[in-house]
Amino acid sequence: MMNSFADRFSTTGPIAELRKAQANVEDDQFSDAAWGSEAGFGSLAKGVPAFTVPNVPDPSAFLRLHTDDHADPNCRIKIQHGTTTLAFRFQGGVIVAVDSRATAGSYVASGTVKKVIEINPYLLGTMAGGAADCQFWETYLGMHCRLHELRQRERISVSAASKYLSNLVYSYKGMGLSMGTMICGWDKTGPAVFYVDSDGTRLKGDLFSVGSGSTFAYGVLDQGYRWDLTDEEAQELGRRSIYAAGHRDAFSGNTCNLYHVKEDGWRFIGNYDISQMHYEGPTGTGTGYGYDLRVEGRTSANPPPAAAAA
Amino acid sequence: MSRRYDSRTTIFSPEGRLYQIEYAMEAISHAGTVLGVLAKDGVVLAAEKKVTGKLLDLSGAKEGGYGGSGEKIYLLNSNVIGGVAGLTADANSLINYARSAAQQHLLQYNEDIHVELLAQRLCDLKQGYTQYGGLRPFGVSILYAGYDSHYKFQLYHSDPSGNYSGWKATCIGANNGTAQSLLKQEYKDDIDVKTAISLVLKTMSKTMDSTTLGSEKLEFAVLTVDPETKQPKAKIYRPDEIDKLLESEGLAKKDDDAMKTS
Amino acid sequence: METSFAITGKGYIIVAADTTAARSIVKMKTDEDKIKTLSPHLLMAYSGEPGDTIQFAEYIERNIRLYQIRNNYPLRPPAAASWIRRSLAESLRSRKPYAVNLLLGGYDTTTYTPHLYWVDYLGTMTEVPFGAHGYGSYFALSLLDRYHDPEASLEEGIVTLKRCIDEVAKRLVVTPGKYKVKVVDKDGIREIEL
Repeated sequence: MMNSFADRFSTTGPIAELRKAQANVEDDQFSDAAWGSEAGFGSLAKGVPAFTVPNVPDPSAFLRLHTDDHADPNCRIKIQHGTTTLAFRFQGGVIVAVDSRATAGSYVASGTVKKVIEINPYLLGTMAGGAADCQFWETYLGMHCRLHELRQRERISVSAASKYLSNLVYSYKGMGLSMGTMICGWDKTGPAVFYVDSDGTRLKGDLFSVGSGSTFAYGVLDQGYRWDLTDEEAQELGRRSIYAAGHRDAFSGNTCNLYHVKEDGWRFIGNYDISQMHYEGPTGTGTGYGYDLRVEGRTSANPPPAAAAA
Repeated sequence: MSRRYDSRTTIFSPEGRLYQIEYAMEAISHAGTVLGVLAKDGVVLAAEKKVTGKLLDLSGAKEGGYGGSGEKIYLLNSNVIGGVAGLTADANSLINYARSAAQQHLLQYNEDIHVELLAQRLCDLKQGYTQYGGLRPFGVSILYAGYDSHYKFQLYHSDPSGNYSGWKATCIGANNGTAQSLLKQEYKDDIDVKTAISLVLKTMSKTMDSTTLGSEKLEFAVLTVDPETKQPKAKIYRPDEIDKLLESEGLAKKDDDAMKTS
Repeated sequence: METSFAITGKGYIIVAADTTAARSIVKMKTDEDKIKTLSPHLLMAYSGEPGDTIQFAEYIERNIRLYQIRNNYPLRPPAAASWIRRSLAESLRSRKPYAVNLLLGGYDTTTYTPHLYWVDYLGTMTEVPFGAHGYGSYFALSLLDRYHDPEASLEEGIVTLKRCIDEVAKRLVVTPGKYKVKVVDKDGIREIEL
C-alpha cells in the first residue's frame, strides 16, 4: 500500500519511466489513426496540412518503424527488418519463395532460417516480423485447421484459415504482436493467397511480397508476372525476385527457399544460395543473375563509326 | 396429483401443461376489462377500473400528468398506450420496463420504438419468467395501442406466457368472451376513430359488471396522428372528459342520478 | 492516400472510395472494395486504421442484417446511422477504440428521401448534403460547396464526382489510383463505372 502510494508520485524508477512512456504514446494516440478525418473542422485548428508524411494510413508509425533501430533500440516492434518473402498465384498453382537470413540489428544471427511454415500438406505460411510470433501462431493455426478437418470432414479453405489467423491476431492488437504473413494453399476454389498482418489486415490477392526487401522483390516480380506463366517460369520468377531482394537489401539474403503449391499440396522445390545465383545462376551452370555478368561486354558508349574503327 | 406440478413454474405436468401460467391467465380473466379497437385513423382503448369507492382520492387524476387515473391505462412511449389487466403491482413493474425499453431504443436509434418491437421486448421478459427456476410469471395481460412508420396504427395483446398477437379489436379481463363476440359482430373493416369510440363504449357498457358507466369506473384513451405535425398523438382522457364523452354518446349514468333523487 | 467522397442528388446518393490497400510505402492491393452494402438501401464507406476498418465494418454489417432478420424490415437510414454512431461512440471509451471514419449513404423508401451521414472515429455524426474523408476532403469540400446541386440528376452528380476525383488527382501529392463508385436510390444499390 505504502509502496504503491510512493510509486504513484515518484519521478524516478521503472513505474515513473513507464508512465512517461505512456504519456508519450497517448499524446498522439488518436491523431495518428484519424489523420485527415477532420474534414472541414480540422483545418481551422491545425492550419493547412503540410505534406511531410509518407503514403500510409499511419505515417508516424511508419516513420517509427523505419527508424526504430537508430532512435530506440528498445522498440518492441521490429517488423519487416531482415526479411524478404513473396507468394503469387498463377495458372499452375502458387509459388512461395523466401530468403533465409535472420538479423538482430546489424548482426546476421543466422543464414539458414526456415521462413516458410508448413501448416499442413496443403497450406503454407510465410514468416516476416517476429519469428516467434509467426512460428507460434501459424503452428497454432495448423492445429485448428486439423480440428476443422476432423469436425467438418473436409479441409479448411485458405480463406477460412487466413480469417481465423487474422481474427486471432486482431484480438491481440496493440499488445506487441508483429507478423506479416501470407497464407497460401489450394482449396476447392483453386490456388489462393491471403496476406495477413498483425494490424488485423487481411487481403485476398494474386501477388504479395512482405519484408524489408519486399520493394526490391516487387520490382522484379511485378515486371515478370503473368497469369499464364509455366511452372518453370514461375519458379524462376520467384527465385529471381528473392535473389534481387537478397542482393539489394542488407537485411535479406544467404539463401532462397522455394515452394510450389499445386492441387495435390505443396512441394519443396529447392534451396538456392544467393551468392551462387549471383555468379553462376541457380543451377550453378548458367550465367549469373548479377548485373555485371548479365551485361558483360555491353557498353552505352556510342562513338561515331570513325572513332570506333580507330 | 397436480400439486406436484404447480408449485413451481418450470415443471411440465404429465399432460404437458404449465399450471402456473394457466393460473396466471385465470387471474387475469377476473381482472378489470380492457378493450381495444383498431380503426383506420387511430386506436381506441377503454378499461374498467375495479378499485373504486367514494373514499378513494382521485384528485391526482383530475389535473397534471398525462391523463388517466393510473390504474389501467398508461402512456408507454409517445407513440404507444398500454392497457393492463391483472395484478396491478406486476403491471407497474412491466410498465416501468416498457418505458425503459422504449427510451433505450430512442437512445440507440434516435426514433420511436416500433409497437411490435416493444411488445416483443416485454414478451421476452415475460417468457423468461415462465422458464427460469424460482420465478413466478407476471400475472398481467397487456393491450398495446400504437403507431409507427412501418405498420401505422396497431393493436397488440400479450399474455403471461410471453405470447403476443396483433388484433383489429380485442378484449382482456373479466367477461372478455362476451365482449369479443360482441366486437366480432359489430366490427367492420375501415372503421374510423369516431365509430370506434362508439363501438368501444357500447361494448364496455354491455360487458361491465356494474350497471352504470362513469369516469369512476372507466379509463379511456385514443391514439391518433396529429394532422399538422404527422406525429402520433396519444390522448388519455381525464375523468371529466370521460363523463363528457359518455354524455355525448348517450351512455351517461341516468339511473344513478335517478337513484340519488329518489 | 485513403480518400472517400459521397454526394446526394435528386433521389439518390453516390458513394465513392479509393481501392488502394497500402502498407508502409507499398500498395499491397489496388482493387480493394471499401464500401459495404449494409441493407438493400444503405451503403457505408469506411477508412482508417487497418484491421479496425474491416472488423468494425463486418460487425456493423452483421448486426444490421441481424436486425433485419429479427424484425422482418430493415432499419431506416436515420436509425441505422444513429445506431452505428452510438457503436463508435461506445467503442471510443472502451479499452481499444475502433479508429474508423465512415460515410453512410442511404435511401429511405418510406419517405422517399436520400440521407447522407458523415461520421468520424470519435463518434461525431452530422447529416450532410455531401461529405468526404481523408486528404481528398481538403480539395473536395470547397469544390462541392461551389458545384454541389441537391437536385442534380444522376448524370450531373457523376460529373460532379468526377470533378472531385480529377481535382484530387491533379493536386494531391500521392493520388489514390482507382475508385469504386456505388449508387443507392429507390431501386436499391448498384456499382457504376466512371
